Amino acid sequence: MVAKESKSSLKLFNRDSFPLFSFVILFILCLVLMGLDYRQQILKEIKSRLSITVSPIIYLINVPANIFITSKNNFISKIQLEDKIKNLEQTNYSLSISVQENKLIKAENKILRNKLKIEKDFNIVGINAEIILPKVKNGYSIITIDKGLKGNIKIGSGVINNTGLVGQIINVSNNYSEIMPITSDDYAVPAIMDSSKENIIVYGDGNGGLKIPLFPASSSISINDTFVTSGVGGSYPKGIKIARVVEIIPTKSPKFNFIVLAPFSQPTTFTQITVLTTKK
Amino acid sequence: MIKKTIMEKKRERALFIILFFISIIFSNLGIPGIENSNIMPNYFLALIISCLLNKNSFLNLYNLVIFGLIVDILCGQLLGQYGFLFISIYFVYFIIQKITTISNSKQLLFLGFCLFIFSFIALWATSLSHKIFIPFNLLFLQFVLTFITYLIFNIFITRFTKN
Repeated sequence: MVAKESKSSLKLFNRDSFPLFSFVILFILCLVLMGLDYRQQILKEIKSRLSITVSPIIYLINVPANIFITSKNNFISKIQLEDKIKNLEQTNYSLSISVQENKLIKAENKILRNKLKIEKDFNIVGINAEIILPKVKNGYSIITIDKGLKGNIKIGSGVINNTGLVGQIINVSNNYSEIMPITSDDYAVPAIMDSSKENIIVYGDGNGGLKIPLFPASSSISINDTFVTSGVGGSYPKGIKIARVVEIIPTKSPKFNFIVLAPFSQPTTFTQITVLTTKK
Repeated sequence: MIKKTIMEKKRERALFIILFFISIIFSNLGIPGIENSNIMPNYFLALIISCLLNKNSFLNLYNLVIFGLIVDILCGQLLGQYGFLFISIYFVYFIIQKITTISNSKQLLFLGFCLFIFSFIALWATSLSHKIFIPFNLLFLQFVLTFITYLIFNIFITRFTKN
């Protein structure tokens, strides 16, 4: 069909004159804009100002998909719900025992800190918020939450939930903020393995997982080992759960292994998050 | 040279704007069930290339820059990136048109393929993440999906603009 119809407008030689002057001017203009934006983050400022009008539109765009997911959840059978309740009751029971253990450890820790004269270093407070849009925006992952500058959210703050590290705030407007999830391929976080003292950097793989491209082969590591934040850099407090090891792949170099990790939290599995703020 | 009537020009402009809005909507939706953001088709590249190859009279350098800036503001990562990309595609397309003879639809399809390769390289070169190594299979999948989107846009454009 295309073959038949396009022949009518095809021509043998193009004798149109090219607007070279306009092209050069616009080309330079675009390059200047890119340079300026890279240095001064103009786009973030524009997006923040436009978010009042753009965010509701994006929300409306995603309404059909959200309705579909909600209605799908509403049609879960009674047996499934009963199973879920049973599982939750069991989890609740084991958690209540863990809480008792934690209380004991906390008290013991307090006594030891007093004896050793160590100051409390976990000076973190958080702001609770709700995820309104976990989605992909023109090829990159983003999570939108319902709090912004008015809720004291700041760019660069870490975001956690009850399962672990969620991401980092990258864009803030008055009423909304955008989070780069830990699984985004632009994301990196200093981490430490909870069973050793190996400081490494964990990267998002852009495919719902995490990776460590060059993990020293000399360090012992096994499947299901847990990585937590190391606190290096000061963006995140130490000890927040990030991910567990799912695969160890040898690299071409015998000195390193490639580690594949599964994050503890995924943006599609929760709605509540906490944005970390440091106490002054 | 084939001159277009005012009605044809108006129709082309309306169609381009409608497809542009559709592209904005789809680029904000994502593909259900696919979490990987790398394999999302680039609807804007597909739209611009299909309109250029169908000789949409609405597309000139200034309009391309304006639409590029709109894309950057709504869905982009770097201001001016898409403007730069669109006028580069326009330039390459014009040069190819000057030095080659496009006489059938297969050549036109191949030209579209070449423009996609060029635009993916340009997009990668101006990427903010400065990633040198992108998993080839993901990039290939994104390329294929973008090309399919281009073919769909192409069908729309030929159906609604040609008499």
